[in-house]
Amino acid sequence: MNPMSTLNPLNPRGVIYVRKAGLHYPGWLAAPAALIYGFFFIVPILMALVLSFTDWNINRMSEPVFNGLHNFRKLLTDEIFLHSLKNTFIFAIFTTIGKTIVGLALALMLYKPRFGNNVFRTIFYMPSVLSAVVVGLLFNSILGMDGLLNNFLAKFGVSPTDWLGNYGTAMTWIILMEIWMWSGFIMFIFISGLQAIPQDYYEFAELEGASKLHQFFHVTLPLLGPTFTVVFTLNITGGLKVFDMVYILTNGGPGYATQVLSTYTYRAFGLGLLGQASASSLILSVIVVVITFIFNSALKKREVEM
Amino acid sequence: MSTKSSTHLGMKAASRLSDVIQFLILLVSASIVLIPILMMLLGSFKTQGEALQFTLSLPTTWHPENYTYVIETGNIFRGYYNSTLITVAAVAITLITGALAGIVTGRNRDRWAKGLYYYFIFGLTATMQTVTTFVLFKQIGIYGSYFSVIMLFAAVNLPFTVMTMSSFVKGVPREIDEAAFSDGCGPVRMVFQIHMPIMRPIMVTNLIITAISVWNNFMIPLYFFNTSSRSTISMMVYNFYGLYSRNWHYVFAALTLTVLPVMILYLFLQKYIVAGMTSGAVKG
Repeated sequence: MNPMSTLNPLNPRGVIYVRKAGLHYPGWLAAPAALIYGFFFIVPILMALVLSFTDWNINRMSEPVFNGLHNFRKLLTDEIFLHSLKNTFIFAIFTTIGKTIVGLALALMLYKPRFGNNVFRTIFYMPSVLSAVVVGLLFNSILGMDGLLNNFLAKFGVSPTDWLGNYGTAMTWIILMEIWMWSGFIMFIFISGLQAIPQDYYEFAELEGASKLHQFFHVTLPLLGPTFTVVFTLNITGGLKVFDMVYILTNGGPGYATQVLSTYTYRAFGLGLLGQASASSLILSVIVVVITFIFNSALKKREVEM
Repeated sequence: MSTKSSTHLGMKAASRLSDVIQFLILLVSASIVLIPILMMLLGSFKTQGEALQFTLSLPTTWHPENYTYVIETGNIFRGYYNSTLITVAAVAITLITGALAGIVTGRNRDRWAKGLYYYFIFGLTATMQTVTTFVLFKQIGIYGSYFSVIMLFAAVNLPFTVMTMSSFVKGVPREIDEAAFSDGCGPVRMVFQIHMPIMRPIMVTNLIITAISVWNNFMIPLYFFNTSSRSTISMMVYNFYGLYSRNWHYVFAALTLTVLPVMILYLFLQKYIVAGMTSGAVKG
């Protein structure tokens, strides 16, 4: 830019801006975002904080009466709720483990440029751009009594099973579906993490005579620390919030075998029990916030400086 | 000397063997990903009886008329229209207001800017309170409108957008601002003529992430539209499945139509989508 223009007589105030305000942008520019987010996201949270302590329901929306911890007490003595709580954690933990292992394994095989690797990456990533509705309905057809899986197993003489209708197998399959859908996405996060490790480390380890396995545990894994932090936080919080996959595959059934917190909330909401529904959704929120916080601070401490 | 070269050869053979094993693992994994998608595509051209067998065989006769049937009865185009309208509007609002807030929180150094930044960051971990949002919409009489859902999508996506935009702006040298200021460019004009064009890469990233997440979202239309004719394509297909759950050939055609726009975008813009979604996640 033209240095002479600081003296531009037409815009003498330009100079004053820099000196006095120190490059200040007017706050009202942020107002639209702050208001939209405030009204449509923050206000409902504040409402939940208040209304979870009242007895309001669908028929008396405008005149809630304060009833203390009643909703929470009711939830914590409700077997279905406790079961949902347990299922939510099972889902979050096992999908995190599964997606991390599969994602890392795929990344290790594919992070270097090699013939065919791009095609594989494209394929593995594909499910993450599909919607959960499509994935859920597709697997409904695969896992049904006369679905693809049973047809396939019949060739080996295995009798058909209703994979999503059985207490023992429903949750396992929902977890596998989630892993199927998101491993390719996690793979790409690991690929960018692996590519950031300087090649010198491996060359040095090679000179020292370290085996491939040794290199993996003593070079690759420690240096992937920050990537693991991202992957764990993303997967755990995503897993705790799960809704679509469960709703579409089993809607919490059979019985309450696959009920998780968000589907429990939706069910209570459908029954018009607004106080209970918002209390349960609030509990989920608190769990997610607390876990994210613990995770981030615990994992950050362990990270190795590169 | 000879032993050394033979172990070297041995290592080469071993690494070739591990290459072959790796390739086989990749091939099996790739088919696990592709089989369901392939079954859907093939099934959408089959007769009802054939589709019900859920196999990977080619259709004995091809029935493209499954698609015409689905389009006529399943409100697919209505779903496309609604999804497009909601996605475009939500993305536009998120990007524009998010960029403005990103510039303010990324550039200003006062307490207000810092507080505002944390106000937005809070939304990254907190979960949406669907139940009270529903009541809020009912009370002020906007429940079931396009407006309410578009704004809700914008609100849900804003924390991430503001955070990424803000960190992008922090990386832009302040000299640019100083030079423009001293050229007599006011702050508002600067935002639109200097910052916004510089922010194009982060805009593209956010555009992709927000568009895909809005297009694929199921929970918000379920809570806030349900069976309404304003609902999105995901909801339309889900309801279609509810009515035609025995007619898998139609369901497969409907599912194919749902994923088609996203798939085409993915195959053409793959580089940007992957880079955008991955970098977005890493920064989140």
